[in-house]
Amino acid sequence: MSFDDRRVMARDLMFQQEIKDNVAQSYRSIESGGGEAVARKLYSDAELAELPAHAVRWALGVANPIRYAFLQPGETVLDVGSGGGIDTILAARRVGSTGSAIGLDILEEMCERAGTHATAAGVAGWTRFVQGEMEDIPLPDASVDVVISNGVLNLSARKSRAMAEIHRVLRPGGRICLGDLTLDTELPIEVAADPSAWAG
Amino acid sequence: MSGALAERVFADKLERAGFTNVWVGGHRPFGVAEASMYPLFTAEVIEAMRRTIPQERQSHVATAVIVKASRP
Repeated sequence: MSFDDRRVMARDLMFQQEIKDNVAQSYRSIESGGGEAVARKLYSDAELAELPAHAVRWALGVANPIRYAFLQPGETVLDVGSGGGIDTILAARRVGSTGSAIGLDILEEMCERAGTHATAAGVAGWTRFVQGEMEDIPLPDASVDVVISNGVLNLSARKSRAMAEIHRVLRPGGRICLGDLTLDTELPIEVAADPSAWAG
Repeated sequence: MSGALAERVFADKLERAGFTNVWVGGHRPFGVAEASMYPLFTAEVIEAMRRTIPQERQSHVATAVIVKASRP
């Protein structure tokens, strides 16, 4: 590897770290999510009724992966980027106490918040939240049946690594159901380069 | 949003990671008005979106999707 190659690699690594730090800092700085306005765009009244009001305040997803995941009682579900815990709690209700729901979030404080919401929802007995990164998931190989996520993969500066990690923790025959944003055309540079557009 | 992939690139990356039966559906436009509902977008970047994105695209800046796949 030439000096120039190493320099490009070092710059890319710095860029990845910068994005990760920016995303973590942005999520750490907010005092709530999008609230009911966002939640009502994504979830039905019946789904919202399954959630504590404080959890609904932390709606930050972009879709409703639970509706498409067809979770079954007894399954183990991992929610990558669980935030305030909305999708983890809905997943926990569907897999029931014979299964388990695990929320993964980069922020310890978000894990604590989601844990409080899970307790209020009555699913804490089979739900846990772990602090960690989607590019280095702190779970054993082939340990979950289903991975869900909601508006989180687009935040990763190392998406291929995150996808490889999701693949690693899924058991053979397991499945993913991810809500996310895609882009059909490039954003104007003034928007694309704004740190908040990397976190939102 | 800046890190979002094109739908085909998203699906290709999943296949390269070893997933099969990749399915993308549940398409829903995500526009400037919806972005403004999230506290993660600053007022400055929302204003930049309104100023720099053509009017006809403001209601569909990105697309919210559901991506499903399985591990063989």
